[in-house]
Amino acid sequence: MFSSSGRRVDRVTIVFLSLMAIGFIIATIDVRSSGDGVSEVFREGTQSIFTPLQQGVDFVTRPVIGFVDGVANFAGLRDENDRLEDRVRELEAQVRATEALEEKVMQLEAINGLEVPGELASATARVFSAGPSAFDNVRYLDKGSNDGIVKGQAVVDEDGLVGRVVLVSANAARIRLITDPAVSVGVRVLSTNEIGIVTGRGDGPLRLEMFRAKEAVNEDDRVVTDGSRFPPGIAVGTVRRTAVADVGFVLRGQVDPAAHLSEIDYVKVIIGWSPIDSALEENEDQTTTTTQPTTTTTDGDG
Amino acid sequence: MSRSRVVVSLLAVLMAIVLQTTVFAPGRIQPLGVAPALVTLVVIAVSTQVEAEYLLLIGFTAGVLMDLIGSGTIGLWAMTLTAVAYVAGRLKRRFPDGPVYIAGTVFGLTVASQFLYVVLGTLFGQGTITEPGVFRKVLLPGVWNLILTVPVFWLLGKAFKTKRSGWAV
Repeated sequence: MFSSSGRRVDRVTIVFLSLMAIGFIIATIDVRSSGDGVSEVFREGTQSIFTPLQQGVDFVTRPVIGFVDGVANFAGLRDENDRLEDRVRELEAQVRATEALEEKVMQLEAINGLEVPGELASATARVFSAGPSAFDNVRYLDKGSNDGIVKGQAVVDEDGLVGRVVLVSANAARIRLITDPAVSVGVRVLSTNEIGIVTGRGDGPLRLEMFRAKEAVNEDDRVVTDGSRFPPGIAVGTVRRTAVADVGFVLRGQVDPAAHLSEIDYVKVIIGWSPIDSALEENEDQTTTTTQPTTTTTDGDG
Repeated sequence: MSRSRVVVSLLAVLMAIVLQTTVFAPGRIQPLGVAPALVTLVVIAVSTQVEAEYLLLIGFTAGVLMDLIGSGTIGLWAMTLTAVAYVAGRLKRRFPDGPVYIAGTVFGLTVASQFLYVVLGTLFGQGTITEPGVFRKVLLPGVWNLILTVPVFWLLGKAFKTKRSGWAV
């Protein structure tokens, strides 16, 4: 085989260039299809092959790794214990204060006739594997469609929002973490009640963008989901440093995720909420609200 | 070329992916928050056992599987590991020169593959190059792979030797 310059191009180089071209074409198709369609089918198929292997290896190695990790960290455990004891005392005091506040809120809600939202149905799952490189932001859960999990549901742990379900098989689910650049979450800043969007950056803090912010966001302000795609009020994180919106410009800031994403083990998938149901409920509420005064007026007039 | 060598290589790649996504997953063995690039190391290690064309196909297959398991665009790891296989296939003739040469190849190729993935990821709109801690993610797998070189090369050497005396075609 010869190139135009007359130099010999060996077979290995031709195979190499052909495979690179195939890789390039596959990547282009995947980008064009936004990861849906054929690529989703392939991902699902591959996952169904790997799931039993990964679960087997995870089952065997988890206790060993846990033991090794425990021994390795023994020296730091005493200090950590002291620190945690102080923290527990601090939190107990906070709980007592919160209980008093909860009582007050319940009384106020009862007075105003508001409905206290019930606990959303959820499925507890365990992470058994992750993506194969440092640049992946996916985790695999040991529960799937058999447990009511469907694509798009929110995944949380005890600290806050972890990610969303992107692929489901019968007994496993794949989630994208909120740190993934492909994940954006509608949020509300609790101190100002203004809304914005946080987007993952692959690692570290999330990018916060607020398009109509009138007030500044301050360091340590808590950020929660706004209820557009995920259930409202789930902790997303805290504002890293104070940011101000210049007139006519977007407020940009950074949010530290509430969940410790590098250490997640057990998580909950919220299966009892969907944005469509929520929108329908809202519409029904609005219809009821607009109907009620008319009825009252008619009654009054009558 | 013995077919059994290709089969053993593919099994090694499969095992490497399973270990990478379980044992070396976040929250498990990740010194300084970054895991070794085990699949890249296996592709380099099998280069001494299979012919260059087969090595390219093994690299490409390993990459496609990594793409399908991971969160990035499909095809990026395929291109990256094909490039690793190509270079490893060219350099393997120098492996008998000594362990320093092997160590240099492992470290250099691992870091180069992570960097190539970052570049490709950025070109395909993943914004990988702007990720916080990107240099750590590029450099540390090279260091961890260097440490794992001896056990991985030894294990694969044993596996190929077993197959040679067992069911070589």
